[in-house]
Amino acid sequence: MPILETRGLTKTYRLGEERVVGVVDASLTLAQEAFAVLAGPSGSGKTTLLNLLGLLDTPDSGSLIFEGTDVSTLDERGRARLRRERLGFVFQAHQLVPVLSAEENVALALWIRKLPEETCRTRARAALAAVGLGGLEARRPDALSGGQRQRVAVARAIVGEPALVLADEPTASLDSETAGRLIDLFARIHAERGVAFLFSSHDPRIVQRADRRIRLLDGRITADEHVAAGACA
Amino acid sequence: MSRWVVLAARNLLRHGRRTFLTGSIVVVGFIAVTMTAGFVSQTFSALKDATIRSVGGHIRILDPRAAGKTDDEAATILLEDWPGLAGLLSRDPRVVQAMPKLSFFGLVVKGDRSAAYLGTGTIPALEKQASLAADTVVSGAFLSRNDSDEIMLGTGLARAIGAKAGDLVTVMTTTPDGGINAVDATVAAVLGYPVKELDDRILFMPYGAAARLLKVEGKANSVVVLLKDDRDTDLEARELPKALALEGRPVAVKTWLDTATFYKQVKLLYASIFFFMGLVLAVVVILATANTMTMSVFERTREIGTLLAIGMERSSIRTLFLLEGILLGLIGSGIGAVLSLLLRAVLNASGIMLPPPPGATRGNVLHVDFIPLSYGIGFAAMSLTLLVAAWWPARRASRLNPVEALGHV
Repeated sequence: MPILETRGLTKTYRLGEERVVGVVDASLTLAQEAFAVLAGPSGSGKTTLLNLLGLLDTPDSGSLIFEGTDVSTLDERGRARLRRERLGFVFQAHQLVPVLSAEENVALALWIRKLPEETCRTRARAALAAVGLGGLEARRPDALSGGQRQRVAVARAIVGEPALVLADEPTASLDSETAGRLIDLFARIHAERGVAFLFSSHDPRIVQRADRRIRLLDGRITADEHVAAGACA
Repeated sequence: MSRWVVLAARNLLRHGRRTFLTGSIVVVGFIAVTMTAGFVSQTFSALKDATIRSVGGHIRILDPRAAGKTDDEAATILLEDWPGLAGLLSRDPRVVQAMPKLSFFGLVVKGDRSAAYLGTGTIPALEKQASLAADTVVSGAFLSRNDSDEIMLGTGLARAIGAKAGDLVTVMTTTPDGGINAVDATVAAVLGYPVKELDDRILFMPYGAAARLLKVEGKANSVVVLLKDDRDTDLEARELPKALALEGRPVAVKTWLDTATFYKQVKLLYASIFFFMGLVLAVVVILATANTMTMSVFERTREIGTLLAIGMERSSIRTLFLLEGILLGLIGSGIGAVLSLLLRAVLNASGIMLPPPPGATRGNVLHVDFIPLSYGIGFAAMSLTLLVAAWWPARRASRLNPVEALGHV
């Protein structure tokens, strides 16, 4: 069963008097073992499609099936529950809560699931160790480097054991070397935990590492290439 | 819940200076509420004392026929054998003293000048102990003997007839049976009464002389009972008629509060001022805090977007901001309570003299009462005010669109 399936997903925005196309008639199927990327130039609709697939936004038309269930008609609370329990998010900027420590930032994803404190702490520590930040649990974001912050964000995304992690331009604010290590981390988590990843990126290294490249232009899917992992674009 | 309280507390510390300024408003508000309550309480207490002293006691014992009548209507209804009644009352361990009061009116004349007066016949020694009059002597000496032909006049009345202490005047009145009687009396003292209307008319005469003048020996309009403790007033007002009825002396009673119109009006006025001040204070706190909270929501828009994106319920976002408001209210109130107690201690030790309260003759040393209820109300009011102030910013935060919030710059 595919983890995600869309049919004719369309989203437009109103910008003043004008209607701006976000995504038009997007149909795709994402397998449970996907390590895919939405690629394309700025304004091509990558982030819009990622937001629709991440249930952060609602489509004007089309259907969205997540793990076999039509979620396009879910109400606000239902979408929030699904995001909380089955999805993980990594954003371009780390988007960590500055007043929480690294461990607390990761545990936050479990706090909102109302899990016991001890469980939250144990799993947060394990997730931080998994991204190579063991020993830095007590540090607040302002005491971490950019790469470390993004790793904390990755730990937060995976601590709830999601089926799919959606990452929007995760390397955009990192230097080349740090970005490379982060991509390696994504690939390792994907391999070790079997978590599906869907990136929105125009970083050629992510596009290169992805085993599936969905290309967008002006809101339309123009190409959908399945490639062997690590193959050149 | 504790983890969200911790998060709310840390969020408050995120902008320490801003939180300090907003919290200061809460602290000042709390101090204002508790100090005003303490000061007003002390003023009420002084006013109550003055009112009781103006009557000469806590409870007035009247003839049963005077029940339900105004003082004017009951003026001609006299109690028989007041000494017997006073004897029964003196057996009550809560009673300090019981003194008769005779009310009469007429003209006081000196030479070719005369003026209308409102007279009170009383036992000088008891009156001196219980009443306001003793504090108001401006010249001469308080009445000394119960059967002497002496009087005391209010300053306004003395001025009206050109009398001063030591002068001889004629006191004329109508007796209850309709006859006219008069007595020559010496002005023993002139009183500076705090209420001008009374000062222009008031006249005191020893009970013995007044009773002879009115030809009502052994009778009195009322017997005024002074209690050891104010708090026993209502109890005694209930119990005394029953106890006296068992002794074959049915009576009617009125407490000092029953006829204390001025006291009630002043209390109502103070309560209105206090309420209005509290309302203004609440509005100031709400506006200042709402502004802070709104800024906080604006600055944390992307963070709120992230929390929504990872699946936090909108209601939880709202709760988080409301918690920040309540927490600020509680912490501010806590600091306010400590500072309020300190300030109270300093003021109470300062010995500052205050002018007399309305209707009183003596000023008091400033004393701010400790009113635990006002501290409780302060905590509740400040927390509620902060909750109200945080409501709209919290609602705004919880209704943000996660996509737009994440893209907020």
